[in-house]
Amino acid sequence: MPVHPSSSSEPSSSFLTDVSRFLGAFRWTFMPLGLLALVAVGVHAAADTLDDRLLTAVDRMDSAFDAWVGQFPATASLVDWVSLETRTRLARALALCWELAADLLLALPALGYRETEAARPVEPWQPVTASASASSSWKALLRRCLRRPTPMRWVRPLATTGVVLAGACTVARLVQGTVYLSWRPLFGDVPADWAARGLAVAALCGVSVSLGWRAVLRNLQHADAACDAAGPRRAWSRGLVGCLLVAPLGLAAVWDAAPVLSFLR
Amino acid sequence: MFARRARGLLDFTFALLCVWCAYHHTPAGAILRRTGAWAFHTRTTARPLLAYYDGVSGTSVPMPDALPAAMLTRVPTSAEALAWGTHSALKALDPKAREPALALAREEGIAPETLVDPVRGPAATRRLLDALAGDFPSEEARVTAVFAGRVPARFALQRVDAEGGALSLERLAKQLPPGFEGSSVGAAQALALSTALMLGWPVAESAPVTSPFGYRVHPTLRTRRMHTGVDLAVRSGTTVTAVAAGVVRRASEDSVNGRVLVLDHGRGVTTAYCHNSELLVKAGTRVEKGQAIALSGSTGRSTGPHLHYQLELAARPVDPFGFRTALRMADGATEL
Repeated sequence: MPVHPSSSSEPSSSFLTDVSRFLGAFRWTFMPLGLLALVAVGVHAAADTLDDRLLTAVDRMDSAFDAWVGQFPATASLVDWVSLETRTRLARALALCWELAADLLLALPALGYRETEAARPVEPWQPVTASASASSSWKALLRRCLRRPTPMRWVRPLATTGVVLAGACTVARLVQGTVYLSWRPLFGDVPADWAARGLAVAALCGVSVSLGWRAVLRNLQHADAACDAAGPRRAWSRGLVGCLLVAPLGLAAVWDAAPVLSFLR
Repeated sequence: MFARRARGLLDFTFALLCVWCAYHHTPAGAILRRTGAWAFHTRTTARPLLAYYDGVSGTSVPMPDALPAAMLTRVPTSAEALAWGTHSALKALDPKAREPALALAREEGIAPETLVDPVRGPAATRRLLDALAGDFPSEEARVTAVFAGRVPARFALQRVDAEGGALSLERLAKQLPPGFEGSSVGAAQALALSTALMLGWPVAESAPVTSPFGYRVHPTLRTRRMHTGVDLAVRSGTTVTAVAAGVVRRASEDSVNGRVLVLDHGRGVTTAYCHNSELLVKAGTRVEKGQAIALSGSTGRSTGPHLHYQLELAARPVDPFGFRTALRMADGATEL
């Protein structure tokens, strides 16, 4: 049973602290949802850049299929199976399926996200060792990635990093657009523009710091646990298909869907 | 320290932002919205799922009315085509979605109701587009300004400039927040229609049409089927030219379409040329308007030499004659 962090027992100091403490009590609800949403947004941003390449691939495959089945009278009618006009829809549908599959692989582990209260040293000079969460800390996970490398341990967290970056950029872009277009009639063009730019950068940094690294860590934990459960022999092939599915999306997310510097121009 | 004291609030805010963004801008969010609308019997603004990739897939491009008399005898200029496409797309929108265009017309001193008037509409729309040309030199940005408004279009243009790379309607649409989905679809439809209107003809315009677009009894299968293009009677070896600049999406051979070429002209417009005797370009090649791309023939499922010419808007076949009404059907048309 996971331990849900309760509100702190420190005395109230301000309204902001009280509100923050109250919302903090519901972190176990909104943090997994936020992680899931961030990954879904990033995956879509990446899939959106791959749809035309997918269309080209479908065209090539259909040409090869038509040429092959067209050789035999019995199968010649299959040439009409994927007609000229349905190929685009097929390619878009494949992009949709790819995206939803990547959502399942990268976003669903986020639902297993749990937080525990930070352990405090019993004595100031005696740090707590061998705590329950030590085996799933960044340091321990990275050490295992280096000593027992598997595709799942490396590809899933790296793909999540790219996707999370693309997701943060998409959120920042929407914040900028929404703030600028809704504040402009109230405050004028220049103040709304500066506010929108500032809030977009804040959203980009905030989402990355607040949710981004947690999504990557959670995927790393999930991959590590899955590889451990599979045993040393099967760990290498564990989740290989999923890795092949998310690796192109991770690359596309970094290359084509993460215009980080555009928010500073 | 502020960040530490407000950690719960900040994390909640960022999580909420991500959920809002996913809800409005991903197909997964659209599935949720549709499910919610179905469960509670409400209307949803979620677009068709496939439209989340190129803006128009899964939506329909409105088939325009008959072309104005001035366009029956010649290929229109790009400004005329853009005005006509924009006017046709505006007419197909619901009144609420037209509001930005009508407000813009008022700003420019154009009577708003004339934009959708069947007779005065194309000219009024052209005046509006000309007035926007100074602020928005590219057609994509100009059409976005008509359908989304001047300020959102300028914002989207600045964001695309900041990101760098080629300007496209899809990239402009991505910059706009929730609420502008209808505008993006309208703009995509306008550009698709105007691009289709600018297309040339793949063979001599005098080539007789032996089988028009629409349902027919198939000449070899003897079943009633949709004929998704037009058959143009030409001798084997006749040069087939590209109707507009584009990229060869497919150059292949099969037993039904014969040697077939598919060109992607961008903006949701593709053309296909079937039953050729020889293909002169390869997949991935960029071709210019009027460039020889194939020699016609009678390969594949065909009863005689002809060219099957097909036009698709937003991945749906449309009658090419809807965009070239100057051409007339050959008397005594036969099936090929």
